[in-house]
Amino acid sequence: MADTEIVFHAKGLGYTYLDRYPALDDVSFQIRRGERIALLGANGSGKSTLLKILDGLVFPTSGELSAYGQPLTEESLADPAVNARFRSRVGIVFQNSDVQVFSATVREEIAFGCLQLGLSAAETAARTADVLDMLEIEDLTDRTPFLLSGGQKKKVALASVLVMNPEVILFDEPTAALDPRTQHWLIDLIAQLGEAGKTVVLATHDLHTLADLTDRAIIFGENHRVLADTQTRAILADRSQLIAANLIHDHEV
Amino acid sequence: MTARVLKPAPAWLVSSEQPIGPGRVGRRKRAAFLEKTLGDGAEVVRRAMYAESADPRGDRPGVLFRIDPRIKLVALVVLLLGVALVHTPVTLAVVYLGLVLLAWAGGVSVGAFVTRVWLFVPLFTAVALAPATLSVITPGEVLVPLWTWHGAQEGITSQGLTSAGLVILRVACSVSLVLLVTISTSWNRLLAALGALGVPRIFVMVIAMAYRYLFVLLGSVLDMVLARKARTVQPVAHTAGDRRFVGAAVGTLLGRAGHLSEEVHQAMTARGYAGQHHTLTGFRASGLDLLALAASLMVAVVIVGGDHLLR
Repeated sequence: MADTEIVFHAKGLGYTYLDRYPALDDVSFQIRRGERIALLGANGSGKSTLLKILDGLVFPTSGELSAYGQPLTEESLADPAVNARFRSRVGIVFQNSDVQVFSATVREEIAFGCLQLGLSAAETAARTADVLDMLEIEDLTDRTPFLLSGGQKKKVALASVLVMNPEVILFDEPTAALDPRTQHWLIDLIAQLGEAGKTVVLATHDLHTLADLTDRAIIFGENHRVLADTQTRAILADRSQLIAANLIHDHEV
Repeated sequence: MTARVLKPAPAWLVSSEQPIGPGRVGRRKRAAFLEKTLGDGAEVVRRAMYAESADPRGDRPGVLFRIDPRIKLVALVVLLLGVALVHTPVTLAVVYLGLVLLAWAGGVSVGAFVTRVWLFVPLFTAVALAPATLSVITPGEVLVPLWTWHGAQEGITSQGLTSAGLVILRVACSVSLVLLVTISTSWNRLLAALGALGVPRIFVMVIAMAYRYLFVLLGSVLDMVLARKARTVQPVAHTAGDRRFVGAAVGTLLGRAGHLSEEVHQAMTARGYAGQHHTLTGFRASGLDLLALAASLMVAVVIVGGDHLLR
């Protein structure tokens, strides 16, 4: 496959918090356009940190990462043009929706990203209306985001990313703390996005819907290294691997 | 691989004993001061910043809501300067009444507007100014004798009251002016207007961050106080343990707030935020805006000139 189709290329990535607590150790992989990938691992295995690194929000303490063939570093993103191009192509949905909704109204919240990236107010308003309609949250338009329920906040957070129409969407524990109906709604939406050709990377330790949502899975061990990187169905069938990664417990199988 | 065998639970955990306590239970008490203050504080800030932040899409927004935020900010600075130059309480009282009238005419809830000003003014200003009314600080004609010193009556003086009244009225007018702008302008547009007026990007960013983190901080404080309340069945004495709780809570709060605020900033950065605010509705100065600007300039001149004549 041609290099241009590689979205992310990580070589020996490492990340250590406060110079003491390792989150990632010697992590290497490639992610190609249109892939649907799960980052699997127990709590604290480094999945969320890796998502933030892929989104250029934190930077590895060792190793190299490139996005779309260009190094993804603090220096490269300091260039406003590079930053805007990257931000418009890669979106992230945080696990904690509270941190992602910070505007006075839902409308302003959803419009925020497009406006920052220079889309005209008219185009932004039209896209905002489309996303509100698509996610069936028009009734929330003028509400204050922080007063919404958990499920509504998640929808607004998702809308605020979808409105930017990114090529890559990173999801951090997308179904965590959601009621069953919202979970199913979100799973269907992620599947729909994957079918539409978006590159989807989701960090999770929920195995139930993984086979429907992703084609490939990267498993992280509790030592913060990659234990396996293969097809999702193969990983789900490998019980010993899942136990080793603390993703299942014996009495679950 | 076999499932890890759990260690046996201690006997008290698996027995059907009665729950702990209630032991020594105090009288029914009103909500603790700390919890009540924090709860009320959080509510006030939330209301101040969200519930009543202006929404120009209302059915019939008042005239203040329709003025360009840039004009409002310029007018605010001009009028604040005017108020700062006033030296007689009468002029300030007239200015204050004028502001209440403006709030009413501009579509702002007068009740909320007046309450909010007088909620803070006595608290932060009057208390600090109380000593200045005494003859030992401001000598003059004693109106309320409080004690004698070497045969002379000491107490609250007429001059002291005038000075304190002047400061209180000036603070009330200044706070009212700021409130009129913040109530009638949504936060995002206010920040965008600051940027448009040439306020340095880093300054606007710091204000924006402070605003977001205020909520994060308040939420964390409330969670901690409630978590403690859930485990407290009797009045807590003001012991070393109590002080330790407050100390530990402050430390935890700082750590948690730091972490959350970092994530809020990351969420903003992820959507292209680089210190400059952009809003859905752009700025366009209309005839109304120019009229408002001219009126504010004229009012500032009248205030200062009138005060000069009264002196």
